[in-house]
Amino acid sequence: MNRILSLHIPALLLLALVIGCKKDNYEKPSSTLSGKVVYEKDAIGLRSNGVQLELWQKGFELFTKIPVYVAQDGTFSASLFDGAYKLVRLPGNGPWVNNTDSIDVTVSGNTVIDVPVQPYFVVRNAAISKAGSTALTATFSIGKVSDGRALESVTLFVGKTSIVDAVNNLGSVAVNGADITDITVPVTINMNIPGSLTGQSFFYARVSIKTAGVAEQIYSQPVKIE
Amino acid sequence: MKRNYIYSLMVTGLFLLTSCMKDWLDREPRTILSDEQVWNDPKQIVALLANFYDRIPAESGLTDINDGADGRLFQWRNMANYDEGMWSGQSNEDGRNNITSYGFNSWYLWNYTYIRDINLALENIEKYGVSLSATAKQQYSAELRFLRALNYFNLVKRMGGVPLVTTQLIYDYSGNVSNLQLPRAKESEVYDFIAAEVDAIKEVLGNAGSTTRANKYTALALKSRAMLYAGSLAKYNGLMAAPITMPGGEVGIPAALAESYYQKALAASKEIINGGPYTLYKNNPDAGENFYEAVTKKANNKEVIFVKDFLLPTRKHWFSYDNIARGVREDNLGSSSVVPSLNLVESFEYKDGSNGALKIRTADNSDFIYYDNVSDVFANKDARLYGTIIYPGTSFKSLAVSIQAGVMVWNSGRNAYDVVEGSDLGTTYSDGKLLTGTSGPHRSIQEVSNTGFYLRKYIDPNDKTSTRGVQSDVWWVWFRLGEIYLNAGEAAFELGLTGEALTYINALRERAGFGMNSLTSLTIARIRNERRVELAFEDHRLWDLKRWRLADKVWNGSSSNPDAMIYALYPYRVIRPGDANRDGKYVFVKMVAPRFRAPRFFQLGNYYTAIDQSVLNNNPKIIKNPFH
Repeated sequence: MNRILSLHIPALLLLALVIGCKKDNYEKPSSTLSGKVVYEKDAIGLRSNGVQLELWQKGFELFTKIPVYVAQDGTFSASLFDGAYKLVRLPGNGPWVNNTDSIDVTVSGNTVIDVPVQPYFVVRNAAISKAGSTALTATFSIGKVSDGRALESVTLFVGKTSIVDAVNNLGSVAVNGADITDITVPVTINMNIPGSLTGQSFFYARVSIKTAGVAEQIYSQPVKIE
Repeated sequence: MKRNYIYSLMVTGLFLLTSCMKDWLDREPRTILSDEQVWNDPKQIVALLANFYDRIPAESGLTDINDGADGRLFQWRNMANYDEGMWSGQSNEDGRNNITSYGFNSWYLWNYTYIRDINLALENIEKYGVSLSATAKQQYSAELRFLRALNYFNLVKRMGGVPLVTTQLIYDYSGNVSNLQLPRAKESEVYDFIAAEVDAIKEVLGNAGSTTRANKYTALALKSRAMLYAGSLAKYNGLMAAPITMPGGEVGIPAALAESYYQKALAASKEIINGGPYTLYKNNPDAGENFYEAVTKKANNKEVIFVKDFLLPTRKHWFSYDNIARGVREDNLGSSSVVPSLNLVESFEYKDGSNGALKIRTADNSDFIYYDNVSDVFANKDARLYGTIIYPGTSFKSLAVSIQAGVMVWNSGRNAYDVVEGSDLGTTYSDGKLLTGTSGPHRSIQEVSNTGFYLRKYIDPNDKTSTRGVQSDVWWVWFRLGEIYLNAGEAAFELGLTGEALTYINALRERAGFGMNSLTSLTIARIRNERRVELAFEDHRLWDLKRWRLADKVWNGSSSNPDAMIYALYPYRVIRPGDANRDGKYVFVKMVAPRFRAPRFFQLGNYYTAIDQSVLNNNPKIIKNPFH
């Protein structure tokens, strides 16, 4: 008898706990809002976890934002409850022209949206390749999309993983905007591969454009260098 | 008869009761002070002022208070958040070595409770202080206005322009609060307010000679610093590729105003230097000890202008317990929490004025430079290095601080050194001599320096002050003459008065062990470096980099940028028998501090702290700062 009791008590307790947990808890959000930040249908290259979008939902007492971080390939996703949200592109946050118009989003099940933005500059036709065994050459065109802000610099970044940007890198070479006299001509950046990467069988490289007065840069997609 | 007796007793009782009741409802409360009592009694007013002085916020400090809503911000731990130092204490705070980016709400302050308390005090002293003398009333009011101006300075340097509230805001129960919702003032207006308040009160402040209560020169010191900030904000914001401004001027000061602000900063600084009772502290003939005493020594210190004082045995703090060098600690726990970085050590110049980078490798980088003594690599450095930092080969409290990371044993087979480090402190190598010093450095043990350096500034030199039982009463310096010299020098330089700037900067350098007139030419970079080394750990570095608009360049978040990383210097003893030129000597290895994980990352959106959503919700006239 004792043996049966002692065997069953933990099981009963566990059952009680499981039931108890379930009883008065909220359902977790089951829908997903996902999408990408685009210009002319192309996703925009960004710094990993650098740019944030905000979701706001009216009608609740606690009126606070839901931050949504954009990944480096321009995609984002958030787990949400079904409902009507407003999606805000934070002013001065991404490498694009401020547009504080909110986007109405109705989340119902898995919802996919594109967030259109108007960048100041875009990277076009980025080609990065090894020149010999110790040098790297990047060539790309700068596409000017919006007026109003000056080109501050362009930079070539290298790193061990595909997450490579101004913060995550093992080396970089920057060219000042003032040294680029004609932005319609493709820009070439040369770099000596840092010692920490010369022994690697492969690494990643990426180019970026920095607009004056904008914290975040706009990037090409990372290129695997073998 | 018996009944008569009872009746008479009752009547007497009733009589007693009624007589007691007479003033029952008109008694003075015994536990509550009335406004009339408070505002007519100088002792009560001073007690209240003490509370207001105690609530002056600072990014760092010597105690551990963090109550931003009230403005009680005074946290020494934050010293480990910038490039002066890092965290080497208990590993539960290693997040300070791993700040992937400063949050947009960092340095948040919105302490209008404090401003309301001061405004209320100012109004009550006028209303109720009928039996105070006119001079006393004037003086207390001036003191309150100084504290309010200082607080607005603390607000504006963090948030940009904030609502200027100078009277109590009282709700009239009409259901309409729009008259209480004040918009943000322009950033320049807040600085102008500070200057105007200082000018209005400086002659009536009294408290001459006090270092803990505001006097004329304390107010001028505030003006000197605030006007310098305003001037450099105007100038360097304008020089940015894209200045940070808002259309209403809530942030961003027009570049055209820079000159007038610099002139005000210079004038206020000169008034202190020429008219004040202060002199640079030069009581100790040893320049390094002298600099240490200039900040920490209380007796006969003519340099400090305004301090937050502590007094044993009751008003004390834990700073020495938490930060004393490991090998000389007096308690069995604590020590070594904030340790200086090699970055800071190398910013101290050599006495001949050359770059302060330590010479640890030969010119062609093929071999170490071998030193006879572990302290020789620091020879001929700016004496302020000794006064600020405990480096290998120095002592504290008359005890040698043993700093050695391990030994380098020559391996002739490999033609290279084998690096041997101890798993514990104070260990000996197989040759019977020291392996790892009692103060480390060590790569992983907590409460041991991770950089190879320890703090000297603010650590109490007296016996047993680093124990939990005694604790320390070293004071925190808000303003001292050294800073005023630097303010004057920078303002004069920006105004093109290089000759005048040189006299101020050279005076400070002379005190630091440089020769007479050690500089003959100046650059802004040099002045900035002087500020960095003179005012290290005194809550200036962050604000200086912000106002020069350099923070996002220096702390750019890139691990390949040496300024954004915290470096360490590990000394090793060489074991190379048969090579008399090298055996038994010391070499140094520079590395990223092992416990340091993420580069410092300051974004454009950090120049002005994000205003809390609750503030925006409550007052629709408040607008957000840029980038948020």
